[in-house]
Amino acid sequence: MTDLRALVRPTGVHGALYNDPAVFDAEMQHIFGQGWVYVGHTSEIPERGDYVRRTLGTEPVIVVRAADGVNVLANRCTHRGNLLCQAERGRRRAFACPYHGWVFDAGGALVDVPFPAGAEADRAGLHLRRATVEIYRGFIFASFAARPCRLAEHLGHARQALDRASDLSPSGEVQIGRTWIKHLFQANWKMLSENEADGYHVNFVHDSFARSVKVQGKYSDVLQGDEAGFTAVTRALGNGHTELDYGPTYRRPLAWLAVGPDRYPDYTAAMEGAYGVVRATEIMRAGPPHTFIFPNLFLAETCLVMIQPLAVGQTVNWHTPLLLRDAPVELNRRILRQGEVALGPSAFLTADDAVIAERQWRALLGSPGWLDLTRGAQREQQREDGVVVSHYTDETPNRGFWRHYLDVMEQPPVAVRSAGAPSCSP
Amino acid sequence: MQPLTDAEYRALQDFVFLEAKYADESRYDAWEALLTDDMQYHVPAGDGDDPSELAPSIINDNRSRLATRLRQLRTGTRHSQSPPSVMRRLISNLTAARVAADEYEVEANFAVFEYQMQSVSQVIVWPGQVRYRIRRTADGLRICAKTVLLIHRTGPLPTLSFLI
Repeated sequence: MTDLRALVRPTGVHGALYNDPAVFDAEMQHIFGQGWVYVGHTSEIPERGDYVRRTLGTEPVIVVRAADGVNVLANRCTHRGNLLCQAERGRRRAFACPYHGWVFDAGGALVDVPFPAGAEADRAGLHLRRATVEIYRGFIFASFAARPCRLAEHLGHARQALDRASDLSPSGEVQIGRTWIKHLFQANWKMLSENEADGYHVNFVHDSFARSVKVQGKYSDVLQGDEAGFTAVTRALGNGHTELDYGPTYRRPLAWLAVGPDRYPDYTAAMEGAYGVVRATEIMRAGPPHTFIFPNLFLAETCLVMIQPLAVGQTVNWHTPLLLRDAPVELNRRILRQGEVALGPSAFLTADDAVIAERQWRALLGSPGWLDLTRGAQREQQREDGVVVSHYTDETPNRGFWRHYLDVMEQPPVAVRSAGAPSCSP
Repeated sequence: MQPLTDAEYRALQDFVFLEAKYADESRYDAWEALLTDDMQYHVPAGDGDDPSELAPSIINDNRSRLATRLRQLRTGTRHSQSPPSVMRRLISNLTAARVAADEYEVEANFAVFEYQMQSVSQVIVWPGQVRYRIRRTADGLRICAKTVLLIHRTGPLPTLSFLI
């Protein structure tokens, strides 16, 4: 394995990190194979037996609602390794392998083997690999480490972004529908992760958007030539989590939806009923987070994004609207419509991000060398709580991302859960 | 409803072929001139069994958002279409029916062959079904709705920022 310390410096990283297949394999082991990974939201699997198919890195898993909570199971029959469940979502009491008919329950236990007289293996040893699961405000995270740290420790300051997204609902929960849009980037997954909190590219990659939309909303703050005029900021939150905060650009409630504060009186009333007038007004003014949670979750304001690495040069960007539970359908429709502007293969924004990432990946492949990440290193400010804050266009988030990356990648491989070892709660 | 005459079918087919040509050649002004003021341009995502009215689409443009899309394409800095992809599309299995005195529904299968040269330099194939609503106006035939059902709309899709 490559010596990563030689490839990650405080002021820059080497291009090999994006295109060396050996680095990718190590990331699948260290970052996605043993760290906390976002896999879904409880609103996607409301009833017992409901499941969705997801991945931890490249490993397919089933996220299923069992009688006693949410389980994340390796989607791989312990018999001959067949994919246990092909459907993307559904409701089942048990998972029967289509190859030889072995049946596993929603906890991963092998409960039936056809023609049992000839079955000689010990069933207990053929339990599906099962991850440790923790849920915060409906957001489900999983880790295959035998003894992962607590989720709260991993989330750290990013937990507030999950609060910020959820608090916009009068009942305190986001609502995730069943349709996802999956956008294929022929680029490395870290190019997407880093781009989520890159404020510097906005004026250039999205110049065509700036020049074609009539109502720019918050973008008038950041699509401009006056460096001193930006009020939005960027932050490295620790543990690789990063964000852009557009809150400072919103002067009144619902400015983030580009509507007046009185547009949805039923929503305002419900929010004031739930949180009190002062707090509700502030929640509705500050708006949703624009926060990346290491390694694969992006709270993209009105959308939820999952970053799925397929291979060293292939990544799928999943998105769906971040709807607000118990909010009026008109408001959720507005959220949906805003998300369609920003995200997806045909969107006004990410279509261009994808092409830029693909060019970057190709250029690095043919012309390896160092990438410069010094911007703002002298003017960024570290707060007492450890969060580093800087100008919207600074590379503070990149430096935060790579500091954590190196920490995680340099950890020795830890014990991971294997088949036949039913997990316990953390 | 009166059945379609051969001449009407031929006129609708010619009109669809003209629209395809303008889209293939990224002739945005000519393409936009074929649209009514209430044009809806829809490229759905998902498997079609999502009952929610809040299901996201790949494209769901009303006329105003479509105008923005075309303005963006014309800026020259829409990186994903700068330069425009080189494309040709085949259209077949075209059926047409009258749905109102001055409106038709036209369905066809299509395959767009796109040479994506903005980043990956590959030929990308976009197969599917297209459904039009076409209105006879004083200025001739005009499109009031276009729905594009890609066969792989549930799966990962590459960037799609040209006129499909």
